[in-house]
Amino acid sequence: MKPEFGKRSKWIWLVWIIVLLSYLVPYTLLSNVALWYGSFLFWAVAGLIVIALNVFITKDFEDHSND
Amino acid sequence: MTESLIWWSIAIYLLIAVGIAIMSRQGAAESMSGYFLGNRQMNGFVSALSYSATTYSAFMMVGLAGLTYAGGVGALGFEIIYFAGVSLVAIFGPKFWAVGKKFGYVTPSEMLGHRYNSKHVAMAVSLASCIFLIPYSAVQLAGVGYLLQGITDGAITFTTGVIMATMIAIFFSYIAGIRSVMWTDSLQAIMMIVASTLVAFLVIQGLGGFGALFDTLATEHPQSLTVPGSGLFSFVTFLGLTIPWFFFSLSNPQVSQRLFMPSSLRAMRQMLIGFLVFGFIYTMVSVLWGFSALAAFPSLARADLATPTLLASEFVPPVLGVIVMVGIMAAAVSTIDSIMLTLASMVSRDVYANVKPNVSEKRQLLVGKFVVPVIAILALGFAELQLDLIAVLSVAASSGLVAMVPAIIGAFYWKRGTGTGALVSVVGTSAFVLLMYATGNSLLGLPSGIWGIVVASVLFVGVSLMTKPHQAATDAFFDAISEELGKKRSHKVSPPVQEANV
Repeated sequence: MKPEFGKRSKWIWLVWIIVLLSYLVPYTLLSNVALWYGSFLFWAVAGLIVIALNVFITKDFEDHSND
Repeated sequence: MTESLIWWSIAIYLLIAVGIAIMSRQGAAESMSGYFLGNRQMNGFVSALSYSATTYSAFMMVGLAGLTYAGGVGALGFEIIYFAGVSLVAIFGPKFWAVGKKFGYVTPSEMLGHRYNSKHVAMAVSLASCIFLIPYSAVQLAGVGYLLQGITDGAITFTTGVIMATMIAIFFSYIAGIRSVMWTDSLQAIMMIVASTLVAFLVIQGLGGFGALFDTLATEHPQSLTVPGSGLFSFVTFLGLTIPWFFFSLSNPQVSQRLFMPSSLRAMRQMLIGFLVFGFIYTMVSVLWGFSALAAFPSLARADLATPTLLASEFVPPVLGVIVMVGIMAAAVSTIDSIMLTLASMVSRDVYANVKPNVSEKRQLLVGKFVVPVIAILALGFAELQLDLIAVLSVAASSGLVAMVPAIIGAFYWKRGTGTGALVSVVGTSAFVLLMYATGNSLLGLPSGIWGIVVASVLFVGVSLMTKPHQAATDAFFDAISEELGKKRSHKVSPPVQEANV
């Protein structure tokens, strides 16, 4: 692939780290926090971060020629 | 909610949806890519709404709310991990799109067959998709049947609901193929999100606001706010549910086929981001429905009653309740018609055309159109049987479709992957998952949702290493990706020297 296209793709690893944390944190650190700002808030924020990361990762799509 | 109010609302919905479906026609679609892919010219906004409506079936409004009611916040975690998995579109989407454009693929199975230079791979993927997706469609139909029967106290029978949903799905598919499905999906997606968000807002207000709702949960149902909580979301169960769903955007052909459709990568980006925003709102709304039902009606006989109970409660005005009911029906229909079209295209393109070589595109399209009602009738038959088996198979669907994932990833990232490896991986894993479900879905204490991806990967890598890849097909595939994705916007064209380092 050309270096110009997909150069942000390495940022996808941040998404995978969010996924990993989405398994680990609620089942360890937050397992005793029975409040809205426990797992509920954590997963909600994780979802928002995923959206933001995707906006960033796909910025290159705009630069592509579509004939 | 009176029966006549329900019939009138269904009639109005149908009138509008049919109007939109007819308006979406732009001349008769006479080619496979015209009928099944909208000539690869779908804009980002419609693609985003359609992708959302296709992905989010009746499962969200009824199933996820019920899952939250029964198991607590773990249901949100399950959906968020699926949601994060949609980021795979950002990685694989442009590559799917590039090879689709270059080689004219209509189906994901056709793409795999070409990449691995094996018709058997294309046929195996198509047939495995049918095995796992027809029962999944049946569950959607049954969902409409149960919903209408439940909400009208039996005045509208289960069978009436199922037949009606089948007819609507066939009709939307027939008018203009994927184009009418996508436009009606868009209407359905907007209806789904607006009505369900309004209901969540009204119910939470009725319960005293967001703070009061969570105070009630924290004091009366503290386990609902933690995992494993009441025990439903044990870590192993959570893994078993989330792993197959994480790969949903690649493994489900009715979804991955959409990666061929956008008119440009810009449209694909709009599709992805639009879907994520829609999905996030919809997930939060469904989970909040489940929590609200738990706070307001803590002793329901079955968790699946959470949604019908909320809709029938004093918190929701009857007109809004009936709009949501139609929204749930629309959600089911939008999932079924997309699955029907995808399976029809796969059967005609990858099974029929491979069994009968040199068959014209027109003939393939004719067979595809014939297959649509056949699939619908099979799904209807499954739904009418009301067997437990259907539920089992629908849960197995996501686990079974994982069989395609290593072959798909390998197609784009592993030149050493072979046709035999892909074939053994798809067939072997499908058989393995079915066998696991037939024997209690547990091996060494782990469900097939976890085993599926392991078995598929081991088979794909192991058998590929023992066999030889088809070099010419592999090179052509990778070259096409580099070539298509190397094109920059005209005002940013790089000098030829830099262009050479593809």
